[in-house]
Amino acid sequence: MNDPLEVENDQGAAPRRRFILEDDTGFDEVPKKYRKFYRKWRGVGDSLAANEVICPVCKVVIRSTRELRPGDRVYCMPCMSRLVVTANDDGMLEAIVSY
Amino acid sequence: MPSGRDVHDLSRDEFLDQVHSFEFWFHSVEGYLSGLEYGHAQGTIEEAMTAVDRDRLISVLCNYCVGETAALEGASGLIAFAPDRRAKIFLSTQVVDEGRHLEVLLHRMTDLGVADPEQEIRRRASPSLMVFKDRLLQLVASRNWEAAILAQNVILEALEFAVFRRHAETADAVTREVLLGIVKDERRHIGFGENEIGRRLHADPGISESLRRVKGDLDHLVLGTLEETSRSIGITLAEQETLGRMYLESVRRLGLDR
Repeated sequence: MNDPLEVENDQGAAPRRRFILEDDTGFDEVPKKYRKFYRKWRGVGDSLAANEVICPVCKVVIRSTRELRPGDRVYCMPCMSRLVVTANDDGMLEAIVSY
Repeated sequence: MPSGRDVHDLSRDEFLDQVHSFEFWFHSVEGYLSGLEYGHAQGTIEEAMTAVDRDRLISVLCNYCVGETAALEGASGLIAFAPDRRAKIFLSTQVVDEGRHLEVLLHRMTDLGVADPEQEIRRRASPSLMVFKDRLLQLVASRNWEAAILAQNVILEALEFAVFRRHAETADAVTREVLLGIVKDERRHIGFGENEIGRRLHADPGISESLRRVKGDLDHLVLGTLEETSRSIGITLAEQETLGRMYLESVRRLGLDR
């Protein structure tokens, strides 16, 4: 999944990496066509890729075909939440719920 | 959704229509329930347990049944005055989920040798959980949408989500499978609750005071139930705080902790 496929210009910012998502992450709580966009957090030793962020409501890892940046909108289908990506004080990406 | 499209490119309405649909529900539960019998694989071996452990598990299951019955009756009552089509359809899927939960838990009690699960529930149910159930159903009967959703889908479901997940870590194999299947359903229920309340608060911040009062009225009942259940499944006091965190985080995000 980590092979950058192409780059795209993002309003003058550095190009975003693109990602191919494998079809089966083992996550089975959404319909098949959406499963590649989600995975379970594997706990200690796990880490987030540049295209991933954790849902604060249900703790599932949300994945995108694009590198994520602050301001991006993502959806958590398992818990039906609309989220906006932000950067915390350490520069790590987080998601906050957008009601 | 066309193949190749990123799910995060859906419009807001496309997303909300999709996740509130029976279509979405059906293809979701198919992924983790098909092939199971009463919530667990047929081949899962029943582990031996002592009489004391068995009795303790039955008490816990009785209280889980009370919680699921409360949610079943609550969700079905809420459909009548749900404010929009999406909420009505989603709640209809929740009713099915809650009915299934009650059924698999009752069946688990029968597996454990309980001849009359209904009578056993009446005998062993936690008083604080029974009061919580009454309060929830009163809120539903009074058609107080926001308060009932807060009580049911934020407070009760968050507690169940946390406790079932923790209990599954140490439960016997059959009970573990039953609980993990329920937890997967609960993820939808807690998300619906928080997002619905969040949208309502955004549209009318004035309702926050009344929701804080509801939360204040129900908190001690939920925490009382958590304490009783925790004792039965061997959860320490420190762990109880961790279990309560998910609910508290949700309440904080909604701004109802102040």
